[in-house]
Amino acid sequence: MTITKSQLSLSRETRKKMVPYLLIAPVVIYYSMFWLFPVINAVSESFKNVDGVWTFSNYIHIFKDPVFYTALSNTAFLVIFSVTIEFLLAFGLALLINKKFKGSSIFLFLAMIPMALPAVAVGAMWSSGLATRGWLNSFLMTFGFIDDASKFLFLAGGKMSTLWLIIIIDAWTVIPFVMIILLAGLQGIGEDVREAGAIFGGTKFQILRKITIPMLKPTITTAMILRIISAIQIWLIIVMLFGFNRLPVLLEQVVLNYDQLGAEYFERIGLALSVLVAIIVSAAAILYLKVSGSFEKEEKENG
Amino acid sequence: MATLELVDLAKRFSKKVWGVKKMDLEVNEKEFIVLLGPSGCGKTTTMRMIAGLEEVTRGTILLDGNDITDIPSRNRGISMVFQNYAIWPHMSVYENIAFSLKLKKMPAAEIKQRVQETADMVKIGELLKRLPGQLSGGQQQRVALARALAVRPRLFLMDEPLSNLDAKLRVIMRTELKAIHQKTEATSIFVTHDQSEAMSMADRIVIMKDGVIVQIGTPDDVYFRSANMFVAGFIGTPPSNFFTVKCIYNNDKIALEHSQFTLDLDPKGFEELKEYNGKEIVIGARPEDLLVVPDSEAVFTEEILVVEPQGSHQVVALNLSETIVKMIVSAEAKVKPGDNIGLNFNRKRLHFFNKETEDRIHLKNEVE
Amino acid sequence: MANVLKRQIRRSAKKTSLYIILVGIACIIIFPVFFLFSFSFMSDYETYSEWPKPLVPSFKAHFMIDKDVEGYHLFIFNKSEDDFMPFGPLVFTNNEKDVDNLRKFIKLQSNCKISSQQIVEYLEVVDSDSRVEFTIRKDLLANYILFFQVVNGAPKAVLNSLMVAGATILISLTIGGMGGYAFARYFFKGKNILKLSVLFVRMFPAVSLAIPMVIILAKMGLYDQPLGLSLVYSVGQISMSIWITASVFMSIPVSLEEAAMIFGTTKVGAFWHITLPLALPGLAACAMYSFIGSWNEVIAAVVLTQFNPTFPVIVYKALVGSQGQINLITAGSVAQAVPAIIFTLIIRKYIIQMWGGVKV
Ligand SMILES: Nc1ncnc2c1ncn2[C@@H]1O[C@H](COP(=O)(O)OP(=O)(O)O)[C@@H](O)[C@H]1O
Ligand SMILES: [Mg+2]
Repeated sequence: MTITKSQLSLSRETRKKMVPYLLIAPVVIYYSMFWLFPVINAVSESFKNVDGVWTFSNYIHIFKDPVFYTALSNTAFLVIFSVTIEFLLAFGLALLINKKFKGSSIFLFLAMIPMALPAVAVGAMWSSGLATRGWLNSFLMTFGFIDDASKFLFLAGGKMSTLWLIIIIDAWTVIPFVMIILLAGLQGIGEDVREAGAIFGGTKFQILRKITIPMLKPTITTAMILRIISAIQIWLIIVMLFGFNRLPVLLEQVVLNYDQLGAEYFERIGLALSVLVAIIVSAAAILYLKVSGSFEKEEKENG
Repeated sequence: MATLELVDLAKRFSKKVWGVKKMDLEVNEKEFIVLLGPSGCGKTTTMRMIAGLEEVTRGTILLDGNDITDIPSRNRGISMVFQNYAIWPHMSVYENIAFSLKLKKMPAAEIKQRVQETADMVKIGELLKRLPGQLSGGQQQRVALARALAVRPRLFLMDEPLSNLDAKLRVIMRTELKAIHQKTEATSIFVTHDQSEAMSMADRIVIMKDGVIVQIGTPDDVYFRSANMFVAGFIGTPPSNFFTVKCIYNNDKIALEHSQFTLDLDPKGFEELKEYNGKEIVIGARPEDLLVVPDSEAVFTEEILVVEPQGSHQVVALNLSETIVKMIVSAEAKVKPGDNIGLNFNRKRLHFFNKETEDRIHLKNEVE
Repeated sequence: MANVLKRQIRRSAKKTSLYIILVGIACIIIFPVFFLFSFSFMSDYETYSEWPKPLVPSFKAHFMIDKDVEGYHLFIFNKSEDDFMPFGPLVFTNNEKDVDNLRKFIKLQSNCKISSQQIVEYLEVVDSDSRVEFTIRKDLLANYILFFQVVNGAPKAVLNSLMVAGATILISLTIGGMGGYAFARYFFKGKNILKLSVLFVRMFPAVSLAIPMVIILAKMGLYDQPLGLSLVYSVGQISMSIWITASVFMSIPVSLEEAAMIFGTTKVGAFWHITLPLALPGLAACAMYSFIGSWNEVIAAVVLTQFNPTFPVIVYKALVGSQGQINLITAGSVAQAVPAIIFTLIIRKYIIQMWGGVKV
């Protein structure tokens, strides 16, 4: 009698323990079907040639191609500078406006526009603005800052200036996004914690370093991971401003090979490239997690 | 109304963490039981197991003699007031109170009457249309109470319902809750970490520590016959004073030797202490059982450190060999810091504890 | 006294500088967007023949017709030159074909509508007098209308995009929402690692995912179908939805559900009666997020569609393919951006809450 009862309660407990796994199951199933499966497929296809024979030739082609190295270094440059600059500016802004002020709701809406704007629209906006006879030069001329002779050649600059141009445009597009994530995190911390820090005699900077940033760590990790992942995958704005192959970056090369060159040979090159991009993205994200110490925290929480 | 019985109840959260280690408790019909203990001792866990919100690891819960251990919360016939009220913010006060009645398919007219009746009882009859966001903390608390009362539960659970209220309102609500209990006669279990709340409300108090019951008894039991040093120290404000003394029995006299004083006892009435001859024991003395006496009758004299006037009485603190001793004197007594006063013990009221086990040394003729 | 005054001054200076910074940021954000909108209302003539380009679209255009021995000449007022400039065919006569061509030219180049009848009347005036000046109201929406006429299948593409977005919302919100609820309410082994790894799903470029998906979707009969595309979009959106809904559910105290369970309902009933209504704003915001994500995506859609492209695809192709016609392309871009911006306006209130903070 007692045995049956304890068995019964055990099964009920195990049933309860299964609930979260049942809720997670669709995610896992979905990702195995529509993520893992295509990824495995992509990876294996990238090791085959047009005739379906296993080979490294796709990768060898990439590694022999000097454009790949240009794309790699350009991407690295973009990611390092854009993510750092965007984070610092967004964090500064989030700290600055982390209080209720008149019109905060309108400001928030404005700040969200760049991230709502379709990439195509962003491209159209800047290509029409940065053209030598674009709206930016028109604006400057109308208000007499420059004359016809001294108009800027935004898009015609050298490699460095075009890279920085991309960084600025990217910053314009995503700073609000990063800022909103950080702002949410800051508001989650609450004023009282920081006030407590101030009462115990911390300077503003000390409070920021010892209280705010550590408490914001999970939010910062989320924001940085999301940013690193998408920064490495930047391409559309570059293509819309400069066309293909003018300023090679990794994903642009993927698209170029897959979509533009239009031969199965190049499609496989594109696949191999995208596998490399995925490896680079995850390596960068994991490197960030390692360096920032987020892994340790995960393990601690689990242990 | 109902009886509740907890048999060998235990809850283990993980390998090392036990919420409750062992609970055996019988609650009588119409009784108002208070679970009292420091935070983290397992009161909420006990409550949640009774409510069915937490699976039990071991043991049985019997309500009116029926095993309800594996019955879902909704079928147990209990109701509960949560510490943070847990009233539903998207429903009006009326909808909150009527929620369970509607689920029970009670006729609409009856629901209406029941809601109004219950709301009137807790004095929120005028607020039925409001949303919880438009209520003060005290009013929200009353909504939670009304919601729990409206179902006419067999067992009424309250988990620190008053702890989010301000001090004044808390005292008012104590009285009201007690009055409501007398009216409804629902068997109730009330959780608190506030000993004065427990003392003023309980029929019986269950004192818990580290997941086990330390003492079950009426307020008088736990106050005058504290089962161990923990209870003596936990109940009462200020808490009991403890003196470690050496018990010497010879020539038909018991002498309790402290580093600062010696207390002589007539062995008659303290026979049980004879066993401790030559050993150390602990005296527990309530603040009111230390008496100010002329120096000639004093067991020891000491300088007053601080005087805390309380209106009805004054609390005097002394420093006796590096431990603070607190005692209560009348409001009229002229005492000030720096005065030397003579002190004696109200011997009949003293508690004695085994120094190793910290358990009470029971005397035959303890005050009833 | 002086101190109080000083403090007040300092405080208001602080406040003022905050507002200055805010307004500055707002301007930086609005400035380019403004020109995007502005260009979409301009005529070809405004965008290509004036320098510097006008900053705001004009509402009307001034024309002049003159006549000399060779025939009639049409002029248009050029603001940057502050003078009438030759416009259109150098010479024309008053025969029917010429007049009709002129009408079309005016419509196409300056977005102004004028009837042939009216032109003939003006020509008669020119004949009797010396020259005639006239003003026509510009058709501001001409670019939009033209975009939807010229770009092949634009209306159908909008419909496709809507279907893709709808299916993506449905898939990502149900699957992601379940996951988010599990992350918010339960402790289980590997929870943190799992939560982080759903973000890592996004590491594989969507376009690269799209390539093998072509075959998979073809097998399922979903290639070039809105549903197929939404299956790909949901990969990224589910992971986003998990994170967002997890924080939404976390902001709803568990005790509200527990109370419902005590007062007579099941776990499912508690979710239905209590948690879901309370989470609805946050879930709506999450849905809007998915909408924006799928409404704006381009390249996977390029790969995965053939005869049923989505709206961003045709705008993208119009932009990359055709050099020039910037006013037409901005019109397409704005047409694509407006729904996303409107949805942003709707979710504005919840977005901070969505990321785990409180409402602003
Ligand atoms: N869900 C839980 N998971 C793990 N440990 C818990 C959980 N709930 C409570 N505990 C632990 O169980 C013990 C008793 O907690 P609780 O019953 O809430 O105490 P009380 O209500 O008396 O303050 C505490 O040590 C607490 O940390
Ligand atoms: Mg508790």
